[in-house]
Amino acid sequence: MSSDDRDARNDDLDVEIQSHLDMATRERVARGESPEAAAAAARKEFGNVGIVKEVTRDMWGGGFEQLRRELRYAARSLLRSPGFAAVAIITLALGIGANTAIFSVVNGVILRPLPYPHPEQLVLVTSQFPRLGFDQFPVDAAEFIEFRERNRSFSDVGAYYATSVNVGSETGPARVPSAIISASLLSTLGVTPEAGRWFSADETLPNAAPVALLSDELWRSSFGGDRAIIGRKIQVDGVETQVVGVMPPHFDIHDQGVRLWLPLTLDPAKLADYRGSHYLNLVGRLKPGISLATARVQLEPLLQQWRQTDGGSMDPAQNKVHTPDAKNHRLRYDDLLTDIVGSAGRALWVLQAAVFLVLLIACANLANLLLMRAETRHKELVLRAALGAGRGRLVRQFLAESLVLSLAGAAVGLLVARWGLHALVLSNDAGIPRATTVGLDGRVLLYTLVLALGTGIVFGLTPLLRLSTANMSLSLREAGSRTTAHAGASRVRRALVVAEMALAVTLLVGAGLLLRSFENLTQVDSGFDRSRLSTFGLVLPGATYADSMRRVAFFHQVTDQLQQVSGVQSAAAMSGLPPLRQVNANDTRFEGYVAKPGIPPQNVDYYNWVTANYIATMRIPMIEGRAFGPMDGATSPPVAVVNQTLARLFFPGQSAVGHRIQPSGMVDTTQWYTIVGVAKDVKQGGMDAKTGTELYLLYDQAPKYLGYAPRYMNVVVRSTLTPKALAPAIRRIVGAIDPSLPIVGLRTMDEVFAKALARPRFIALLLVIFAVVALALAAVGTYGVLAYAVTERRREIGIRMALGATEGGVLTLVLRQGMLLAGIGLVVGLAGALAVTRVVRSLLFGVRPTDPLTFTAVGVFMLGVALVACVVPARRATRVDPLVALRLD
Amino acid sequence: MSKRKAPLTRIELLQGTLDLIILQSLRWGPRHGYGLLQVIRSMSHGVLQVDTGSLYPALHRLERQAWIQAEWEVSENNQRVRVYRLTVAGRKQLAIERSKWEQFSLAVAELFAAPPPEEAR
Repeated sequence: MSSDDRDARNDDLDVEIQSHLDMATRERVARGESPEAAAAAARKEFGNVGIVKEVTRDMWGGGFEQLRRELRYAARSLLRSPGFAAVAIITLALGIGANTAIFSVVNGVILRPLPYPHPEQLVLVTSQFPRLGFDQFPVDAAEFIEFRERNRSFSDVGAYYATSVNVGSETGPARVPSAIISASLLSTLGVTPEAGRWFSADETLPNAAPVALLSDELWRSSFGGDRAIIGRKIQVDGVETQVVGVMPPHFDIHDQGVRLWLPLTLDPAKLADYRGSHYLNLVGRLKPGISLATARVQLEPLLQQWRQTDGGSMDPAQNKVHTPDAKNHRLRYDDLLTDIVGSAGRALWVLQAAVFLVLLIACANLANLLLMRAETRHKELVLRAALGAGRGRLVRQFLAESLVLSLAGAAVGLLVARWGLHALVLSNDAGIPRATTVGLDGRVLLYTLVLALGTGIVFGLTPLLRLSTANMSLSLREAGSRTTAHAGASRVRRALVVAEMALAVTLLVGAGLLLRSFENLTQVDSGFDRSRLSTFGLVLPGATYADSMRRVAFFHQVTDQLQQVSGVQSAAAMSGLPPLRQVNANDTRFEGYVAKPGIPPQNVDYYNWVTANYIATMRIPMIEGRAFGPMDGATSPPVAVVNQTLARLFFPGQSAVGHRIQPSGMVDTTQWYTIVGVAKDVKQGGMDAKTGTELYLLYDQAPKYLGYAPRYMNVVVRSTLTPKALAPAIRRIVGAIDPSLPIVGLRTMDEVFAKALARPRFIALLLVIFAVVALALAAVGTYGVLAYAVTERRREIGIRMALGATEGGVLTLVLRQGMLLAGIGLVVGLAGALAVTRVVRSLLFGVRPTDPLTFTAVGVFMLGVALVACVVPARRATRVDPLVALRLD
Repeated sequence: MSKRKAPLTRIELLQGTLDLIILQSLRWGPRHGYGLLQVIRSMSHGVLQVDTGSLYPALHRLERQAWIQAEWEVSENNQRVRVYRLTVAGRKQLAIERSKWEQFSLAVAELFAAPPPEEAR
């Protein structure tokens, strides 16, 4: 039936009924009634014209048309109670919107495959040093070349390491995240350039002409998206480098945000030199038909064979192993996507579960609202049934109403999700991997639709528990008096409130634990004074700063001049920026070292090359001995400062000061560095990790004794000025010395630390928001149910008051009813929390999943909120006028 | 209004009866809704009070089942009225309904006339 036919038929029905009323009126007038009285009487005799028309139209049939009509009725009936509709839609919009937002993060980060052909075949290959406590460590170049030849599991293996380089473009020098890659990495990943070509194998040999591949993003932002760039030369770290291709948009490796790809130069003749220098990550593509598990099995014979072939390169005196074997230096395989997602996966699933609980609570609230609405509409429903409307029709009508609500809620929810995603995930750095792939795609929209339909059905069907045929007949008798509470309905309502409270409590406990963890993380002693400290990075191109002495001179010039700026108290340079550094794990010789149990192998987790005033600028307290000072020059006897952890590990029960060590790379192995002091531990491996061993070496002495000085240095400035106020001076000073150098990441040290804690803060913040929303919803639900109960029991309360019950007595009566529900909810919720907080254990720091303080605080807080929710209806109960109440009905 | 307040179980029973009553009343000629009510009332000597509100849903349901068909006519008062007439299918249905009703009422009548069972005493 077309909608035109439908309209015509509606008009016909109107005419038909009007003619009926006219005839009835005319007859009454003929009997002597006044025209007005006759019309009114005819109308009264006919009954509710609107409902009769609706029920009549239902008889016309037509599946889709009927659905449309029911949805229209539903919309109309909701418009008649806009307050109810608004509350329901807002509740749903928040619930569905939050779910959509979190699911789009889960979808983008965890579910969406990596953008390579057959991404499930890609495996990250790294190494392990169980004795050093390194579970996932880079491999060395010799291992890469040997592994690529010897393994039988992978069709190809590529290697890369992430770094950043200075790139000259029309817009000035820029620091660009880049990856140094083997030619085989491109063929392993299997993504062809959108313009130009891959590197050839020849281009990764020593003395090959320098070449580079641009990312689509860099190509567009810095080179105007001009295809003529292929074949042209650009400045990369001061070297003329030919662009051979442009990779397609979003091409990346391990979520590094790589913008420039440079060839990894390896000389197959120098494998022995490469051993022990672990800096490469490998990506392998599994052969067709070989699973990750099979590959792991095939790894064992490979490790054994490796040991037999190259076991000779092990250095027993150093008590370490430099070729892979089955015990001391294993290889490990991880699914590439799983490794990228890492620990964020669990956190995101926890958030998804939490936000789903919030939606469940919202559903329970709506079910309660609809239940109460159904009670008040009982008369209308019974009337419809009497006119011949079938029960199926009534069920459909309820469902139509809840579906209209849930679909409207979902539509608004999508806006909420868009806004929420933008506010929480995309504009802030949430510390979530693959954040750039997060968005509202088809799968997310489908999820939202399913959620909306499911929600609508769940909360729409709950009131029908009350509307079975048997109940329907009862309701007529009930309609006469309201003295008895509808036992069935109020049981459902109370159960819903208890469930809401329990879910909210579970969420509150989870949020409380994560909040405490975050609090603990911010309280961790970083080992130095972070206030009024700014930092930025500078990288000297290897080509123009080949001489290490020039590097040292450069950083001295920069820090000396910075200290002349008014408002700057001191400035220093260092290679390692706390609190999140890559482990160096440098072999280090300790004079008189004897290998014995309890003493670790001769290896230091972190080296930090620093200028003389670094320890003073950072205000790292000296525990023992002295810091570097003016007496330590570039050519004076080499000195080192160690951290407490190193002193404790290698010199247990004695002073570290005065001992001598040889850092890796000593030019003259007859010379020794003397430890002159022990500094307080500074966090380098993350705020939540145990501090590693750290060795401070004087940057000025590095060229002479180690024949090398790092090119990538950080500058720290202790100043009352903000980074913004410092920026012009920094740019002027650095630009005057070398205008080609970009200044990287100028920010306060507090910002550096905030970034390191971005993910725990993000997770805790979201969970707290969800828990508070959950509790608010549960409180509103409790309030609603109690308020309704008070209205229902008004007559009973009136009788009690007439019989002499005091206001206090009535107050207690209602409060007891509400707090009993809250109490049951609390107990169930705490028990639930005990059962489920185990899943967040890995997200906690310094707090146990059963933390009594959190559980107690949540209990008190929740009871307080419940009390507030109960007091309002209870106070209303005390104002019941016995006379009015008794006269009701 | 007493019928409207009757429990649903009885209403469903009445609904079937309403069909029978409408079909039977249309045997005496086409009628519009209002006229149908008057016929039912007068033929049953006022005993059968069909609820106005439930008449139109029933008429439209019977029309959909093709037991009756409707046409627009102009009444003596020069008013457009929708007039219902019995179809061939409607006549057959009436016969079925009627025989069911007679069996039912006979059974109930026998139940009332029967002496109390022996065992019960």
